[in-house]
Amino acid sequence: MLEVKNIHKSFSKSPVLRGIDFKVEKGEVVAVIGPSGSGKTTLLRCISFLEKADEGEIVFDEYTHDMVHISKRDIKKVRMNMGFVFQSFNLFSNMTVYDNVMEGLVTARKMDRCEARKKTFEVLEKVGMLDKTKNYPGELSGGQQQRVAIARAIAPDPKVILFDEPTSALDPELTGEVLDVMKKLAKEGTTMVVVTHEMGFARDVASRVVFMENGVVVEEGKAKELFENPKEERTRQFLSAMSKHE
Amino acid sequence: MSDRLVDILVTSFMRILIPGIKVTIPLTLLSFLLSLVIGLLLALVQVANIKGLKEFARFYIWIFRGTPLIVQLFIIFFGLPSIGITLDAFPAAVLAFGMNLGAYNAEVFRSAIMAIPKGQLEAAYMIGLNYPQAMARVILPQSFPVAFPNLFNNLISLLKDTSLAASITVIELFTSAQQIAARTYEPFALYCEAALIYLIFSTALTWLQNWIEKKLVWKSGENDKDKDADCGCGRNKAMVG
Repeated sequence: MLEVKNIHKSFSKSPVLRGIDFKVEKGEVVAVIGPSGSGKTTLLRCISFLEKADEGEIVFDEYTHDMVHISKRDIKKVRMNMGFVFQSFNLFSNMTVYDNVMEGLVTARKMDRCEARKKTFEVLEKVGMLDKTKNYPGELSGGQQQRVAIARAIAPDPKVILFDEPTSALDPELTGEVLDVMKKLAKEGTTMVVVTHEMGFARDVASRVVFMENGVVVEEGKAKELFENPKEERTRQFLSAMSKHE
Repeated sequence: MSDRLVDILVTSFMRILIPGIKVTIPLTLLSFLLSLVIGLLLALVQVANIKGLKEFARFYIWIFRGTPLIVQLFIIFFGLPSIGITLDAFPAAVLAFGMNLGAYNAEVFRSAIMAIPKGQLEAAYMIGLNYPQAMARVILPQSFPVAFPNLFNNLISLLKDTSLAASITVIELFTSAQQIAARTYEPFALYCEAALIYLIFSTALTWLQNWIEKKLVWKSGENDKDKDADCGCGRNKAMVG
C-alpha cells in the first residue's frame, strides 16, 4: 500500500539515509527501531515530504512518484491520505481541541461542518478526550495533547498514519495513555508506521519490525522473530542494550 | 504662577486638545492602519519567499528605514508637486507616516511569523492545508499576539511623531500649541501643556494595550459558545465540555 524505494538523504553532505527500501501493507503496524541518529525520523519525514529526499521513489495509493521531482499538488494528494503524529504534538495553539480536529476536515477537505462535527466527536471519544473539547492545547498535559494529536491525525480516515516517536517527549507516567490509544488503533486494523524507542510496544503490538542503523535497514522481520531470534549481531546488541533499560 | 498665565493655560487647553482629538488622533490611526497593511504585505512576501517581491520588500525597507522621516514627509508634500502629484497636507502626512512605519512594522510582522515553531506549519501541511491556508488559519493568528506589543510600541511612537506634520502645515495638536505660544509669548508653559496632552493620549493607549494583551491569551472560557451546536448530530451539549 505504501512503498518507498532507494531513499537517499544527506544533511550538509553527511548522509542520513543511504538507500532505504521500505514497505507497508494494508492493516500492518510497522515499528521502526534503532539507535539515535540512525535516520528513523528522517525516513518518516521524507515519506511525508517534510524533508525532500535527494533520491528515491514512493508508491502510494496506486500512484508512483519520484520523490525529488514530485509536484506540490501531488505532495498534497499524498498528504491527504496520510496522518502524521509528531514527537512534540504540534497541536495548533490558537485553536481549541475541537477546532484542531475539525480543521483538517473542514478547511482542507471541505467537509460539511455537521458531518465533520460528528467525526470529530467520534475520534475524540476514541482517544478519551471528549471532556476537553473546549480547551486549548496549552491547558492540557503532554499525554492529553498527544491523544488529541492522534485524534486529529485519524479524523480524515487516512490510509496510513506515521508516528514519529510519539511518546519520547512525555513523562514515563503519561506514555501509557498514549500507547493504549495506539494499541486500540492497531487492533482496529489501522495501518501504522511507528518510529519508537518503546520496545514493549514494538514487540507486542507491531506486526513487523524494522531495525535501522546508520541510514540503512539492518534487519527486518516479524516482531516476534526479530525480538526472539535476531539474525544480525548488531540487532542483538541493540536489543540487549535496550532490554537492560526496561 | 501669575493669574494671566493660569488663564492662558486654562483657555488654551481646549484649543490644543480639540485639534489633538480632531486631527492628531485620526492622523495617527489612519497612518497606523496604512502601516499595518504595508507591513503585513512586506512581511508575507518575504516569508513566502516570492521572487522579485521579496527583493522589492527589502529595498522598500532599506529606503524607508534608512532616511529621516521628516525628509520623506517633505519629499511627499513639497517634492511630489514638481512631478505633477499634488496632495493636501493631511493625506500627504498619512502617506508619509504610513509608508515609513510600514517598513518598521514589516520587520515586526516578519520576526513574529518567524517566532512560530516550525512544527505548526508542518502539522498544518500534514492535515492537508496548503501554504495560504496554513498562513491564514494557523501561523498568522499565532503571530499576531507575538507582534502585538511591538506594533503597539510603534503606535505610541507614531502618535508623538505626528507632531512632525506641523512642518507641512497640518493644523494638529502641536501646531495649535505653537500658534498660541507665538501669540502669548509663553512658549515654556504652552509646550509643556502640549507635552501633557500627548502624555494623556499615550497613557490612554498604554491602558488599551494592557487591556488587549490580556485578551490575547488562548484560554477556554466559561461561556464559550458552541458554533456547531445546531447541527443536531445526536450529541448533546453536555458532551462539548
